[in-house]
Amino acid sequence: MNIYLPIAEMSVNIAVFLGMGCAVGFLSGLFGVGGGFLLTPLLIFMGVPSAVAVGTGSMNIIATSVSGAIAQYRRKNVDIKMGIVLVAGGVVGSAIGVSMVKILRQIGQFDLFVALSYVTFLGAVGGLMLIESISAIRRARSGTAPTARKTGQHSWVHGLPFKMRFHRSKLYISAVPPALIGAFVGIMAALMGVGGGFVMVPAMIYLLRVPTSVVIGTSLFQIVFVMAATTLLQAIQNKTVDVVLALLLIIGGVIGAQGGVMAGARLKGEQLRFLLAALVLLVCLRIGWDLVTKPAEIYSIGPLIGSSTP
Amino acid sequence: MTRVVTIGIVVGALVAGLLVVPVLRPAELQVRADELYVKTAARKRSNDARMGPRRAPPTPAAKPAQPAEKPVEKVEADVSTRSVEVTTGFTGHEILVFGAIDNSQEPEGETGYYDMVVVVEGTPFPLVVRRKSDVAGVWINTSSMTFASVPSYYAIASNRPIEEIAGPKVLERHAIGFAHIKMTPAPGYQFNYTEYELAAFKAAVIRLKQKEKLYVVEAKNGVTFTGRSLFRATIPLPANVPVGPLVARTYLFRNGEVLSAHIARVNLERAGVERVLHNFAFRWPFVYGVFAVVLAVASGLLASAYFRRQSA
Repeated sequence: MNIYLPIAEMSVNIAVFLGMGCAVGFLSGLFGVGGGFLLTPLLIFMGVPSAVAVGTGSMNIIATSVSGAIAQYRRKNVDIKMGIVLVAGGVVGSAIGVSMVKILRQIGQFDLFVALSYVTFLGAVGGLMLIESISAIRRARSGTAPTARKTGQHSWVHGLPFKMRFHRSKLYISAVPPALIGAFVGIMAALMGVGGGFVMVPAMIYLLRVPTSVVIGTSLFQIVFVMAATTLLQAIQNKTVDVVLALLLIIGGVIGAQGGVMAGARLKGEQLRFLLAALVLLVCLRIGWDLVTKPAEIYSIGPLIGSSTP
Repeated sequence: MTRVVTIGIVVGALVAGLLVVPVLRPAELQVRADELYVKTAARKRSNDARMGPRRAPPTPAAKPAQPAEKPVEKVEADVSTRSVEVTTGFTGHEILVFGAIDNSQEPEGETGYYDMVVVVEGTPFPLVVRRKSDVAGVWINTSSMTFASVPSYYAIASNRPIEEIAGPKVLERHAIGFAHIKMTPAPGYQFNYTEYELAAFKAAVIRLKQKEKLYVVEAKNGVTFTGRSLFRATIPLPANVPVGPLVARTYLFRNGEVLSAHIARVNLERAGVERVLHNFAFRWPFVYGVFAVVLAVASGLLASAYFRRQSA
């Protein structure tokens, strides 16, 4: 059975898109990420225009993350104060990103930019996670206890102004690094249609030294609000949010996410990180391959953006 | 550990999907730039080649005696649906162009006395064609050509290949055939490229539009005759046909010349929920954006509440 999408202007198979939403939702629940880094490339491969894939992806991430965020909030795994600082930065970043989408589409480099961003971020983050998780798994096997977080350890982060006390994270640090991380993730959200969990989670763990227990909850909190801002801005500036497409992905996504959260609770952290790293790297290689191999068709056609079409 | 394996399988399946999906795309349609560039020469050759086995046209002597004032043939046509609605369930539509030849002088039915070509053209839109080239190992869009107007959709149906029906000059005059589709370069653009490059851009538009099934040709039995004067042609509108009015042109040919032509119009409009949502998104983008966010949050919360009750 098919359905016609009003913004993407194409007829798609309902079952295929529901299934895609479900599979991505499962992984998003499992790893505590928005799943956008899988969904956006999948949508583009399915023929959805990349700008619509990115715009609609942000709407889908709200829905899959909001249930996860609430589940984490109930378990008191959200540092609200940290979350607000991240959101403030994120909204500013999102506004910048949405404007960049418009310019890049006009000059015809949006697809390239999306692909390059994916390869860069997924490659870097996936590589680092893979190395880290392998050494963690090895440590666990050999029986040595993981090195505990050293309290009182100081770095350049601690020399910055606007210090704030983040109770739940047990941190007393400057608000500048979280705001910058938030802004960076906001730009990525708008450009790549991702929640940015795969950048934010490692940044919070390694740069801010937020305890792992509150990292996923707090990043989900930030994702929900920043994606809401991004959806709104994409709808206003680029008109690339397809509610029908989003609804299909959401229905599949929320079902999958429930399964993912349950499965994730039963897995060890380093195992999760290893699986996620492998997945991230595979997506990265897949996109990178298309960039460097000679395309079968070197021409592409598209509408004239920014003209007054009837 | 078995759970790790299960999750690994799910992850693997997803990645496999990611890898396989592009392979499933339809095979490429072959239209090369130089084909279009040397179209005239090629057409001439193929014309000569095909002329051989063709049945010779009936000689004037074989015709029945005509009255002093010879009546002129005239084609009259209509389309089965004047208005096609693009609704949420739209999966494409087939329009039927049918009609009759007035004062048909064909001695007997279906002898190939006349030729008929039906062209259905969509609303012209501005279009940008981009060309990639290898920049330090990465394939990047490096040049682009903007056309001020290109038909969004173009379908041809005829009783036999159009090259056999008429010469390139006649076809060009009536914009019949992919090679003669009217593509107007945007102001300033035609001077940026050589004639060959322009032809390559045009060929790319045709090739890519064919791939999207937006430029279609039904050369074999696209138009069928019934008796001495009735004819019909079916034109497939794919699900991705751009919305806007369509024009159906019908040409009656005899010995390579147009005897008569007829124009009919088809409206292709959004309707129902489809129309409401599209207008909503483009006319009130802010409200639409808020609606999208609320919808996403509500569906997320609803699902969360539902699953909580399930697990409780």
